[in-house]
Amino acid sequence: MSLKQAAAAAQPAGNNRKPPGGGGPGLPSAAGRQNMGRGRSSGKGPPQPTISFDGIYANMRMVHILTSVVGSKCEVQVKNGGIYEGVFKTYSPKCDLVVDAAHRKTAESSLGPKREDILESILFKSSDFVMVHFKDMDTNYARRDAFTDSAISAKVNGEHKEKDLEPWDGGENTASEELEALETDVSNGWDPNDMFRYNEENYGVVSTYDSSLSSYTVPLERDNSEEFLKREARATQLAEEIESSAQYKARVALENDERTEEEKYTAVQRNANEREGHGVNTRENKYIPPGQRNRDVLSWGSGRQNSPRMGQSGSGPPISRSGSHTSEFSPNSGADQRVVNGGPPRMSPKAQRHPRGHRVSTGRGTISSGLEFVSHNAPGEASTAAVARGSPSGGTWSSVVSGVPRLSPKTHRPRSPRQSSTPMGPALPSPQPGTIPTESVAMPVPAASPTPASPASNRAVTPSNEAKDTRLQDQRQNSATGNKENIKPSETSPSFSKPENKGVSPIVSEHRKQIDDLKKFKNDFRLQSSSSSDAVDQLLNKTREGEKSRDVVKEKTESTPKESIIEAGSNTNSSGGSSKPNSPSISPSMSNSSEQKRGPEVTSQGVQTSGPGSKQDKEDKEEKKDTSEQVRKSTLNPNAKEFNPRSFAQPKPSTTPTSPRPQAQPSPSMVGHQQPTPVYTQPVCFAPNMMYPVPVSPGVQPLYPIPMTPMPVNQAKTYRAVPNMPQQRQDQHHQSTMMHPASAAGPPIVATPPAYSTQYVAYSPQQFPNQPLVQHVPHYQSQHPHVYSPVIQGNARMMAPPAHAQPGLVSSSATQYGAHEQTHAMYVSTGSLAQQYAHPNATLHPHPPHPQPSATPTGQQQSQHAGSHPAPSPVQHHQHQAAQALHLANPQQQSAIYHAGLAPTPPSMTPGSNTQSPQNNFPTAQQTVFTIHPSHVQPAYTNPPHMAHVPQAHVQSGMVPSHPTAHAPMMLMTTQPPGGPQAALAQSALQPIPVSTTTHFPYMTHPSVQAHHQQQL
Amino acid sequence: MAAPGEYFSVGSQVSCRTCQEQRLQGEVVAFDYPSKMLALKCPSSSGKPNHADILLVNLQYVSEVEIINDRTETPPPLASLNVSKLANKARTEKEEKMSQAYAISAGVSLEGQQLFQTIHKTIKDCKWQEKNIVVMEEVVIAPPYQVENCKGKEGSALSHVRKIVEKHFRDVESQKVLQRSQAQQTQKDTSLSS
Repeated sequence: MSLKQAAAAAQPAGNNRKPPGGGGPGLPSAAGRQNMGRGRSSGKGPPQPTISFDGIYANMRMVHILTSVVGSKCEVQVKNGGIYEGVFKTYSPKCDLVVDAAHRKTAESSLGPKREDILESILFKSSDFVMVHFKDMDTNYARRDAFTDSAISAKVNGEHKEKDLEPWDGGENTASEELEALETDVSNGWDPNDMFRYNEENYGVVSTYDSSLSSYTVPLERDNSEEFLKREARATQLAEEIESSAQYKARVALENDERTEEEKYTAVQRNANEREGHGVNTRENKYIPPGQRNRDVLSWGSGRQNSPRMGQSGSGPPISRSGSHTSEFSPNSGADQRVVNGGPPRMSPKAQRHPRGHRVSTGRGTISSGLEFVSHNAPGEASTAAVARGSPSGGTWSSVVSGVPRLSPKTHRPRSPRQSSTPMGPALPSPQPGTIPTESVAMPVPAASPTPASPASNRAVTPSNEAKDTRLQDQRQNSATGNKENIKPSETSPSFSKPENKGVSPIVSEHRKQIDDLKKFKNDFRLQSSSSSDAVDQLLNKTREGEKSRDVVKEKTESTPKESIIEAGSNTNSSGGSSKPNSPSISPSMSNSSEQKRGPEVTSQGVQTSGPGSKQDKEDKEEKKDTSEQVRKSTLNPNAKEFNPRSFAQPKPSTTPTSPRPQAQPSPSMVGHQQPTPVYTQPVCFAPNMMYPVPVSPGVQPLYPIPMTPMPVNQAKTYRAVPNMPQQRQDQHHQSTMMHPASAAGPPIVATPPAYSTQYVAYSPQQFPNQPLVQHVPHYQSQHPHVYSPVIQGNARMMAPPAHAQPGLVSSSATQYGAHEQTHAMYVSTGSLAQQYAHPNATLHPHPPHPQPSATPTGQQQSQHAGSHPAPSPVQHHQHQAAQALHLANPQQQSAIYHAGLAPTPPSMTPGSNTQSPQNNFPTAQQTVFTIHPSHVQPAYTNPPHMAHVPQAHVQSGMVPSHPTAHAPMMLMTTQPPGGPQAALAQSALQPIPVSTTTHFPYMTHPSVQAHHQQQL
Repeated sequence: MAAPGEYFSVGSQVSCRTCQEQRLQGEVVAFDYPSKMLALKCPSSSGKPNHADILLVNLQYVSEVEIINDRTETPPPLASLNVSKLANKARTEKEEKMSQAYAISAGVSLEGQQLFQTIHKTIKDCKWQEKNIVVMEEVVIAPPYQVENCKGKEGSALSHVRKIVEKHFRDVESQKVLQRSQAQQTQKDTSLSS
């Protein structure tokens, strides 16, 4: 399964890649072409039996021989003995023959037929002739390839086989001297004079060669005349001018280039320095040959190496790579991390984002499978491995958070793509826990093994930093390897910081800028996280209510979260978060979504506890600017909130909204959130992490959730700290976070994609305004799928998203789900809680919602959204009035949707699509998302403030907007169309967001806040 | 052996007798059971090395079909055919035959026809005009088609055509001599043998 999935994922990813790449339909297309070529080749050959022909046309050899004699003179002997001669024209399926210019041969016609004896053409029925005689036929006359090598060689008489090559043995003595003599012999064969002499002596031929070439030119007559000197000086001057020109030199250089054509055009240039160098900058923008990538990976460790390969494979030929990945699965966790990390990091560079993202996604997909395998393979350490993996993811997150803000936007985008790939994994896991694991494993692994997770997180972080530089990734991977080795969280945390630093340094100015943006995003995220926490709580409640199993899961997740938190506290934040998530996710494997949700919560908690410190550290390292804010954020335990903020600068608004509910908090939160916006970038990073977790959650729910949560937590902390919201948020968040972990964990699974989306979204917001994002989204959607695009779209605005959703539809349902998930993720990211909550709800509600989604295949997203919306809308209305109830309802709906997405989405299907799409989509999507998100987030936040419902609110917020109009009366599908103008489209999320923003604002007490968020965004 | 459903495997040597009591033998090139069509490849009747005669035999009117030796090897793959080349050949062959028939119907002598064929090999732009051969619209060769019969505007075209005609009759003459010598040789042989 895992392999297949991976392959499937890889292929989709590849396809997706193409679109994003624009001009780079590289591998996938090539593969397709190759296949095509094969088909053609197989089809080669004259007549194709496969084609249904009648009569002798079905007889390949008969057709061939009769066709080859067309145009030849023939003698047709008929039953009565008469012979007709003519030019063979054609034949029918029944073997009726047409002979042109035919005449009846008679004994006395030696002279030839007369004009009047010749008939234009005669049709001989097959039953009328006894024999047709074609004389003197050149069997090769009509051969098309008469002059090809094969045709020519075929005419060689007798056996013609390749000569056996014999090694040359010059003997011991021949050596150097003689050979050197040959080497040093400058004479180029015969001297012309020798030739002339030889011919003259032996053949009496006297050459007329005149070295002066008087026959061709006129000798220059030199004189001392003034005219001549003047002209000579002029000529000299011109010569100097020409020879001193750059163009001339360049051409001469070409002429005298010592390099061989192989070196110039064909050989792969391998610069050892570059390879080894960690210079993120150098690598970021450069295409890294798979081989080199592998090397990097190898440096990390076998496992890690594999993961890199996976990632590479993803970038390159999806399938092949996937296969390799599968082989390397054990390392996958590392690889996945790398991929994610590396991918995102690479992605971080704008230019690289898409490509890398694609690569990553594909790679991830494969990797994930590999990871899954690995995790499975190493059962004993599975948890650890998982943890490590989770940690890696967490690390990435953390890294993102720390310096990444800038990076996070960029990196996140890339990551988001990668994440998208990861989402696939998660999606897979969620649908098919067992199968999913493989893919999810990679993702999950981090989450699964808390401690490892931390390493992983570190790795991830480093990757993010180094995203551009695979080398960096390698380093990270190394650290990750350590993590994999079950390195302690503390270790991992250090690694994280390192990676971050590295990443930051390389990226430097750009990164810093990005980081600044990210910081803003973080702030926003914080707000979101807070809201998300609330949402999580709601979600948790909902989930509990909704499904016993889910409840169980939640409980588990909750417990796990706590544990994770504890761990986080002891260990690094990231590690703690990851570990926690992992445990939760693992336990709830069945209820992936619920688990994921839990995981997130846990992570959030863990992040909060430990996260703050780690985050702070990272931030400090990365950026001093936000140190105070970061500290605050760190103080803000609600890491989840932070994530949200990051993921969604917009989320902050939502947080503010949430705060509104709390009222006192909301407003502060709002403010803080706004500030956070910058933070968002960080949140974004988190969001990516979240994304990772999500993917994990599916396969390895624990892992994914954990990573997610951790990230969020960190973000939330930082963010929270910044905003006023923190306390309330924390409170809410705590609840929400608690809830969120479970819910988050749950959602993550479903949401994994969402998470990505969220991340993307978050990123996009920062980097790209809504509009750009939207456009991107469409592309992404088209490419990737549905999930991402939907999400993005949803986030962004998403009229287009629906389309995406549609693509996915049934199968796409998964994709759509993914999209939904993404959207959820978005929400979550905005308010990690919100997403998480939504997810939890989804987990609980999943099935119910699913039906709806399924019902509306084309607009699954829409339907989902609608479904969620319907409830939400009411909720929202209520929220405004009775926010919680509504929110709850919404969350549930959303969650249901998500769940539906998750559950429905055949993990494999969605995952693949998600992953792929995510990657592709992410870049664009992210941008678009970002813009959109802000608004969405804001709404969400606004809702969050309301309470645990906040998450719901967020979701709703997105949903609500549209819903409000139509929702109240209508339900899901129907309602959306009406309500959402935008909503109609799948992009419930996106539309919702816009709508929500507008609507919410009204609803919200904090309209202004939302507006601000938007503005910020 | 022929595969099930096949009665002749490609490459097998088959002999048969037609309803006109004509003995046929050749290598199976193709066989279509539904239409009972058998394609055989025989050594060229003119003895040219790289050429072969192709026979399409309707087995409905054939008896005594024997497989002289069967070929178990898988036949070589079929080469793709240049259909347009074949179509061109069909058209030119037809035109050539029609042109020749026109000349014959006009009462042109055998020598005239032979000359026409020879010139046509070198210069495609030649046609019959009554009994005259018109080459490149410039040179007219009237019976009895000797070098001195070549009329036209003095120039390279006329001289070129004259060279062709001159060479044609020289070759024909030498061929006749050769044939005679061969005939004499055969007569001697026969006389000796007798």
